[in-house]
Amino acid sequence: MPTVEISHITKTFGPLKAVDDVSFSIEKGELFGLLGPNGAGKTTTIRCMLDIFKPDSGSVAILGGAMSEAKKDHIGYMPEERGLYQDIPLERCLAYLGSLKGLSPSDVKQRSEGYLERFDLAAHKTKKVKELSKGMQQKAQIIATLLHQPELLIVDEPFAGLDPVNTQMVKDLLREQHQQGVTIVLCSHQMNLVEELCDRIVLIDHGKVMLYGGLEDIRHQFSGHAVVVRAEGPLPELKGIERVEPINGSTKLHLAAGMKPQEILKTLVAKDVTLAQFEIAMPTLDEIFIRVVQGEGGEA
Amino acid sequence: MSKTWHVALHEYSRHVFNKRFLLGLLSVPFVIILMVGLIFLIVAMETDARPVGYVDFSGILADPVPPPEIEPPDKPVEFRPYADESAAMAALDHGEIQAYYVIPEDYLETGTLSVVHAEALKDGPRYQFYDFLAVNLLRDTDPAIARRIVESDEVIVQSADGSRSMSSDSWFNILVPFIAAIAFIIAMFTAGGYLMQAVVEEKENRTMEVLITSVSSNQFMAGKIIGDIAIGLTQILAWIGFVIIGILVGRVKLEFLQGIEISPQALLLIATILLPAFVMVCALMAAIGATVSEAREGQQMTGLISLPIWIPYMLTGIIIGSPNAPIVVALSLFPLTAPLTMLIRQGMTNIPAWQIVASSAIMILSAVGSIWLAGRAFRLGMLRYGKRLKWREIFAKS
Repeated sequence: MPTVEISHITKTFGPLKAVDDVSFSIEKGELFGLLGPNGAGKTTTIRCMLDIFKPDSGSVAILGGAMSEAKKDHIGYMPEERGLYQDIPLERCLAYLGSLKGLSPSDVKQRSEGYLERFDLAAHKTKKVKELSKGMQQKAQIIATLLHQPELLIVDEPFAGLDPVNTQMVKDLLREQHQQGVTIVLCSHQMNLVEELCDRIVLIDHGKVMLYGGLEDIRHQFSGHAVVVRAEGPLPELKGIERVEPINGSTKLHLAAGMKPQEILKTLVAKDVTLAQFEIAMPTLDEIFIRVVQGEGGEA
Repeated sequence: MSKTWHVALHEYSRHVFNKRFLLGLLSVPFVIILMVGLIFLIVAMETDARPVGYVDFSGILADPVPPPEIEPPDKPVEFRPYADESAAMAALDHGEIQAYYVIPEDYLETGTLSVVHAEALKDGPRYQFYDFLAVNLLRDTDPAIARRIVESDEVIVQSADGSRSMSSDSWFNILVPFIAAIAFIIAMFTAGGYLMQAVVEEKENRTMEVLITSVSSNQFMAGKIIGDIAIGLTQILAWIGFVIIGILVGRVKLEFLQGIEISPQALLLIATILLPAFVMVCALMAAIGATVSEAREGQQMTGLISLPIWIPYMLTGIIIGSPNAPIVVALSLFPLTAPLTMLIRQGMTNIPAWQIVASSAIMILSAVGSIWLAGRAFRLGMLRYGKRLKWREIFAKS
């Protein structure tokens, strides 16, 4: 049974259709990417998922059914716009947010101390939240999200405002949670990180699902227009090549319509070219994202 | 502990253990001390305790009995006899006395006496001299009768059914329900203000989104209202404590504080009108907090509630003069004006039972309705950032 199952949800705000017939499911233990440009409908989809908004139509099943108060204790949500009480000490803020997730004071203390040490915030726990730097507040928000050891973790832009060291720390933490069987929904604009961490993705634009599936499948779906070749010596003249692009000692050959990579390989072998590398050029997620958002590529 | 209580406890501790709250709490005893101090200061300025002389040609004060005892804050004035006017005038010139009376030989027949002073004699020494003269005129009368004549009578005004009475010694009792109502209103706006501010802040700093994925909006709103009512009650109880201490200390010296009592009807009105009013104001302030996008806007909208609540204060003269007039009864039945109107009336008249029942029922229904309104405004407005929720959206069919 999927941890999250979204079926044909639609949500309208006045004249704006924020989410339009969106469907996808997230399996248990999966690290799932929810992508889309600004204003695409990601946050509205998450809010529908969390029962903050009721969809106009369609259904949402989370942790095996409709959202309930008890289920809230098993979900960790870190919204894109951070939300911590600014005027109280960090440790009190964590204690309060932990207590609302059903944790006892001793559990909150024990767990928060561990995370504060790990995130290098132990020395700042008695400071008011507003006295912490933006990066520190970001880490504090991540702690508040993980404190109750959720089964389902929804993190919206968790790397925003973090330096490379802390970005690595959060990446490691997400991987660790993933290994422990936590289902993770990662919303991010940093495509390289999504590519690095996620198994499957859904890409939403203008409220509609544009891409949905395994990351490798999607990259394959968008590949086939080019091959990357590295040969000993210069490449011979080849037919059916639209454009030649040098890339880090290799050459990317953009194929003309109708030309297949196998035909290029056959020609190169026939011309006795010694190949060090020949592979189908797989587009990066960044490239796919731009192509889809700019109108190329179909709806899922 | 349920999440509602966690929210309530957080709300309570966040505001009560805060310098601003403690300053507000201590401001009341400070104001009371200041006011009592001012009373003593004014009385002291009105009383010139320098001796007053007299020249008695009538023989009434030849071997005088001492004047009656003086109660604080008045100060006793010494009365000095002089053999003739020139000696008295010399003492006046030297500043030994502030004035002197001349009691002529035919005083008993004419009732005429004169006073000589450099500056007008103040009320305190003047009345003390008349009492001194009176006790000496009555020296051969039965002491009980003499005391009754010198001390003024206390007339107890009683209602026909005997349920209410008032005397000159218990005038302060009229003010007690009025003061209680004002204290409640100040406390409810303090607590309601905290609630509104907290909701606006939680929207502004985006804590709201995290909170509502942890608790239901009903639990959250209920917790906040409970927490803020507890803040208001803490404030009121602390003030009552200060007032009781003030009365216990002050009644030793101030006679008007000795007859203070709170009638059972005033207590009934506090429980059935002021407490629901408290809930209503807190819930309405929460609703405002949920609809606005920033704290300043919320403060402006608070006037929509606070202005009608203070209207009876501005109409105190009318309410005291005609406590059963139709307009006053109407104010007693309107939720925002009922708290102050009913408590002012309570000190002045016998409020008919049907009006108490009707006003209480309206207040309780208003409190329940306000909670509903706050809950709905909260659900619709909690994630509205930078845009105000319109009231017609709250009442629109969902």
